[in-house]
Amino acid sequence: MDPILTFVVILIGFYGLSTSTNIIKSVFCVTIIESGVILLFLNLGNLDGGTIPIVGEGVTMIADPLPQALMITTIVIGSTVTALALMLCIKVFHHYGTVEWAEILRREEGK
Amino acid sequence: MQFIPVYLIFIPVITALFIYVFKNKHINYLALVAQLAMTILLIMYFTAYGDNPEATLFVFGDWDARVGISLYNDRLSISFMFLTIFTWWMVLIYTFNFRETDHNFLFFLMFLQGVFLGFLQSNDLFNLFVFLELTTIIVTILIAFKKTGDAYRAGIYYELINVSGVLFFLLGIIILYNSFGTINLLAIKAGLEGMEDLTALRMAYIFLMVGASVKAALFPLYTWLPKAHGVAQSGISALLSGLIVKGGLYLFIRINDMFSPANYSYSDFFFVVGGITAGIGVMFALSQKDIKQILAYHTVSQVGIMMMGLSSLPTNDLFYGGLYHVFNHALFKSLLFLGAGVIIKAYRSKKVADIRGVMRTMPVVSILMIVGMLSITGAPLFNGFISKTIIKYGIYDQEWKYWILFFVNIGTATSFIKMSQIFFGPRPMTIILKDAPQRLSMIIIAFSCVMLGTLYIPISSGYFGVDLSYITPFGLIPLYDYIATLTIGFCFYKLVIEKDVTMVRYIREFKVSFETANYLMIGYVVALVTYFIIL
Amino acid sequence: MTKHFIIIILLGVLLAVFTVAMQDIEVLYNTALKSYLIEGVIPRGFVETGSRNLVTAILLDYRLFDSLFEAGILLIAVSGIIWISKHDIEEKNAQFMYDKYKTPDLFVTFSRLVYPLMLTFGFYVIVNGHLSPGGGFQGGAIVASAILILYYIDHDKETNIGLIVTVEKFLYIAILLFASLSIFTRGTYFTNVFPPTASPDVQAIYLVILNIMIGFKVALGLWAIFTAFLKEGR
Repeated sequence: MDPILTFVVILIGFYGLSTSTNIIKSVFCVTIIESGVILLFLNLGNLDGGTIPIVGEGVTMIADPLPQALMITTIVIGSTVTALALMLCIKVFHHYGTVEWAEILRREEGK
Repeated sequence: MQFIPVYLIFIPVITALFIYVFKNKHINYLALVAQLAMTILLIMYFTAYGDNPEATLFVFGDWDARVGISLYNDRLSISFMFLTIFTWWMVLIYTFNFRETDHNFLFFLMFLQGVFLGFLQSNDLFNLFVFLELTTIIVTILIAFKKTGDAYRAGIYYELINVSGVLFFLLGIIILYNSFGTINLLAIKAGLEGMEDLTALRMAYIFLMVGASVKAALFPLYTWLPKAHGVAQSGISALLSGLIVKGGLYLFIRINDMFSPANYSYSDFFFVVGGITAGIGVMFALSQKDIKQILAYHTVSQVGIMMMGLSSLPTNDLFYGGLYHVFNHALFKSLLFLGAGVIIKAYRSKKVADIRGVMRTMPVVSILMIVGMLSITGAPLFNGFISKTIIKYGIYDQEWKYWILFFVNIGTATSFIKMSQIFFGPRPMTIILKDAPQRLSMIIIAFSCVMLGTLYIPISSGYFGVDLSYITPFGLIPLYDYIATLTIGFCFYKLVIEKDVTMVRYIREFKVSFETANYLMIGYVVALVTYFIIL
Repeated sequence: MTKHFIIIILLGVLLAVFTVAMQDIEVLYNTALKSYLIEGVIPRGFVETGSRNLVTAILLDYRLFDSLFEAGILLIAVSGIIWISKHDIEEKNAQFMYDKYKTPDLFVTFSRLVYPLMLTFGFYVIVNGHLSPGGGFQGGAIVASAILILYYIDHDKETNIGLIVTVEKFLYIAILLFASLSIFTRGTYFTNVFPPTASPDVQAIYLVILNIMIGFKVALGLWAIFTAFLKEGR
């Protein structure tokens, strides 16, 4: 897959982030950006096409292992960020009865 | 001896874990013991390695530094570490009463200290990314710690905007890794030597800068800061404004140091960004009515002033003006936030209009608050004066830069004249407060403000090797200067702010929604791209 | 509408510049700059760390410091989510969504069938992290999802969330201590206990133990997060 295509995924995430008005959608957009970044790094780590980075007999050409190790860390970080954001989202809903950014602001001023 | 950086990271982490697991009132005192141990260790480390930064490079597992994770310290990072430990001491003393009952709070607080110390020392880009994300998550939890509706909203706003900013940082790391095959800061700096000027490297620089700018709350990415710092508890606000925001500026210095062989001309761009940040921060601060919001917007404007200094090359005195302002701001802004916390707790209100007669009810706290205000407005003999004067001297020959600083100073003076009305007026009621630990921490900070304001010559020449003897706070000219600033500020307050003209009201009600904030972030990236690549 | 239009143009500028930058990267990729990893780590990785899976070699040896904080980030998130999800103060809009519909019988039956398989597969992935794709983080996530399926089988299952979290914290302390054992054998922190000259089979002992500990820690952490979210829904 072309690295530029994965950059398009990142840009789609940013497009969503700067146009959607809903907290849950914003959280999902951050997840999309993160997936795009992960895909980009994995893509660039294996431009000339090797096998999985496991050494053994008969293995000559393997992919760069460092991006894969770093991306596991990014995935774990991403999942915790999403979990925390969703929990905050539930709490915001319990307090304001809505998950629209603008509506929350309006209800806060109405108090 | 060479393992002290590792101990400094893991002592607070393990203390935090013990505090969380045992949930015991007595175990909580372990935090103070850990803090004491860290102070001693850091002083030992400084005396041993302060003069030879090459010896501080430490790689985990003794692997090659290009694949393993390394820690690296120079005078700059050690000074930030001193500041970190000092600020944590103050916050721990300040929240002394609160701490006995709430081990959860102490757990996050201590863990954050370990993470922040690791962030300051790390010499590996991906490791920096991990620490940045950890800081974001812990700070989000600390912001939402009060469990009110606006705390949750500020928390999620902070988290999403910072995470998307830090993902830009990761993009920069990806490009650098694929260009150099390593993510070690020093190795990349060596690799940039003699490298041709490539678009990919400029792109990486831009992406890393976006991450740093989001963390440092530069215009137009500052929108999360007033929300987050306004709703958090006062101790946490002091910590965030005093220290965590400086993490972004520290990142800025480190990245510029890493890219120094490439010779990008970033000074003008970031000076303008700093100037706009300072102006916008002051403008919003003038219109606010909530004490903590005023202080939070002043953090934005002061970050702008620091940026005006730091944007210059590290060989100039102007750079040290910005750096000195980082430390001074950490002191006086935490002092102001801590004092505001005591006052808000006593009066049960955050509005400037509701609070009167603080001088009669809490004389000690109000004197300390006045010390903080004199520092932030740049009165002679206080620390704010020194750094603002260095910056003033540094930009003396360029008139437009000088005017920006002048207007920001006037705005700051006006805003604190407005805030100082809380001290006067009749004593409202009998307020009984048990605030001995709070007062203790504030007295220590106020004392160090005055110390840095008077003993600046030996401190700066002894530590950074910069001669500041050309700044004289004792003459009449600085005094006239300051009084003139105050007078203009007072007139401006009486004529415009107090009457609450439509313009001020409009600015107060102007809010940037989340999607617009992201829109501005994309705009900022494109502005950087335009400045560094297209032009 | 203009707003959407402008953002598309801005993103288009970014894409164009990135496309130009990518051509530089493809040139740089084949230069000698990356040679250290290709020639250094890949042939030596197995001998130095005892792990055939080089990703595990990097995660658990070369860059163990990062992995410790990666586990730490999960630990912080677990305590944070649990603290935030506690209902201490009045929430006027709190509506609790009861499970209105019973889980389908087919799903329950298949869950019973799949549950032991998933658990076994999770353990397999954890234990063989140094030989095949996988490791503590991945296996821990599989074990945690197997535990999640238990909630479908047994609706009213009560979990002691406090106990899980306490065990998780102790496990994290144990991981930190175990990872720093190398100070006694090799004089440095956060690497394999056994020296690089030891045979890979001996070095694998350390990798397996660390993988198991990390796997359990991750599984417990994710379990606690699930439970917090489920309580929010009940």
